[in-house]
Amino acid sequence: MLLQIEELTKVYRTGVRANDGISLAIGEGEVFGLLGHNGAGKTTLVNQVVGLLKPTSGSIRIDGRDMVADPGLARRLCSFQAQAQVPIDGLTPRQAIDLLGQLRGTARTEVERRRERLIDALDLGAWQDEDAARLSGGVKRLVAFAMAAVAPGRVVMLDEPTNDVDPVRRRLLWRQVRTLADHGAAVLLVTHNVIEAERSVDRLAILDEGRVIAEGTPAGLKGRLGAALRLELVLDPDASEIPASPFGLSAVPVGNRVMVGVPMDAAGQAVAWAESLKHAGSVEEFTLGPATLEDVYVALVGGAEARPAQVEEVFDATAA
Amino acid sequence: MQLLRSYRLLVTWQALRKKNYLPLMMAVQTLFSLGIVLGYPLLFPTLDRTSIYLIATGAPAISMVSVGLVALPQTIGEQKAEGSLAYMRSLPVPRLAYLVADLTVWMAIVIPGVVLGVLVGAWRFGLELQVSPLVVPAVLMVALTATCVGYAIASILPYMLTVVITQAIVVFVFMFSPLTFLPDKLPAWFEAIHSVLPIQAMGEVTRGTIAPNEFGLPLGAFLTLAVWCFLGFGVTYAAMSRRG
Ligand SMILES: Nc1ncnc2c1ncn2[C@@H]1O[C@H](COP(=O)(O)OP(=O)(O)OP(=O)(O)O)[C@@H](O)[C@H]1O
Ligand SMILES: [Mg+2]
Repeated sequence: MLLQIEELTKVYRTGVRANDGISLAIGEGEVFGLLGHNGAGKTTLVNQVVGLLKPTSGSIRIDGRDMVADPGLARRLCSFQAQAQVPIDGLTPRQAIDLLGQLRGTARTEVERRRERLIDALDLGAWQDEDAARLSGGVKRLVAFAMAAVAPGRVVMLDEPTNDVDPVRRRLLWRQVRTLADHGAAVLLVTHNVIEAERSVDRLAILDEGRVIAEGTPAGLKGRLGAALRLELVLDPDASEIPASPFGLSAVPVGNRVMVGVPMDAAGQAVAWAESLKHAGSVEEFTLGPATLEDVYVALVGGAEARPAQVEEVFDATAA
Repeated sequence: MQLLRSYRLLVTWQALRKKNYLPLMMAVQTLFSLGIVLGYPLLFPTLDRTSIYLIATGAPAISMVSVGLVALPQTIGEQKAEGSLAYMRSLPVPRLAYLVADLTVWMAIVIPGVVLGVLVGAWRFGLELQVSPLVVPAVLMVALTATCVGYAIASILPYMLTVVITQAIVVFVFMFSPLTFLPDKLPAWFEAIHSVLPIQAMGEVTRGTIAPNEFGLPLGAFLTLAVWCFLGFGVTYAAMSRRG
């Protein structure tokens, strides 16, 4: 594997254990998703790989070489899109992308060629000569992505690249992420967008309070849930208690909803049960559909009682 | 080669980032200088020849100190707090190239204010200054020391503390630093403090080269500046290279 992280632990000076024995490996050509609640330690992990933070213990290797010992090499081997906005006010997207490409050591004419292609691919043409100080948050983030993609390192670290980006351009962005991997990069991508991650990543890990609580392909993780279907119940606001699931699978409350895991062969039974609840007045409406990665996520990270704000956020696919 | 190429690209980047800010900065510095050369004569209606020269040469010195020790640390502190400094630190360039490039751009912001300050002073008092050719290295030295020390303050202190300290520096520089008056006006213990701080040396080097006929040019001042410059650069470089 190109990027190899072993037993990575980071304890901040404040005593916060932000990463707690994380082991991950990402290969060439692979898009790896990193999911997890706010404060789970995703940015901390990324910042250690790109050499901004020093691990408390554990190792980070790229192509077998020790990145903890040589942060200068880490910066050359990784290209990086930070979670914070890039400092490019005063520059145009064109200038910013060209500068980054050249700073990464690619010849100017080649950088210009790639920049044109990226600006086209991300549909940023209308803004390419605008001062970044006047750009919208989403456009600025796309420019930041283009800066990380114009002369990619062998490892590409993207910390929430899809934030603030509109749904159409998010698709364009995901396509470019795939292109990076197709050209041989190992891509690690942090996102809260579980639905898009399910479609777009090869493998993913879910982080919870600094630990990896699940890792695998989207299909593999869904398989582990044991439920091929998901019944979503919208509770009546006056309903006093949450109905108990007859299926023996996960039933996770999220706000005024309950997500109930349902085996494939119990679809009819599930609909009948939901109908009866609706009839009894404890449920306002329900939908039955295929289980998604989101269900896995919620089942693992816990329901509304555990961490209401975070789970709500994860559920809001368009949340910034 | 890699160092030079990175330096050139980073100067471009940092200059572009500050280009909207440069005219404002120059306007503020000109106002500073105007305030000093127009304001002091109001406070002290009868000024002797030495005082006039002190005020005229003190204005550019104050202008350099206020950019280097006040505006700069506030800006860098802000960049640190919002995370943009971390982004710049993640670029695959030698830290030395980054630091020297940023200092270059800050120097370029300081210098026009100095020229304007000298012109404003000479105009207000009708002075014919016999500026020494040494003024170029002298002003560069003062500007570099001020920017390095300012950078070091922002690098080692948390942002909130930087804000507080720089505000204290403003008062200290305007009221209690021998830039527009001679150090012998200060109580002995205060004079002793100033003899090791860089501000007095900045004033001495500035006035000694802008008005060499009026003031001597103590070599010790250059030495003081060199020490502070080295110290400021070293501390900044170490802070820049440190991983949290
Ligand atoms: N510089 C720091 N000093 C001390 N604690 C920190 C620092 N940065 C982050 N933390 C703490 O470490 C934990 C992990 O933070 P981190 O930024 O890695 O989370 P995250 O998963 O990226 O969250 P988000 O989804 O909100 O971006 C949090 O508890 C946070 O408060
Ligand atoms: Mg984060």
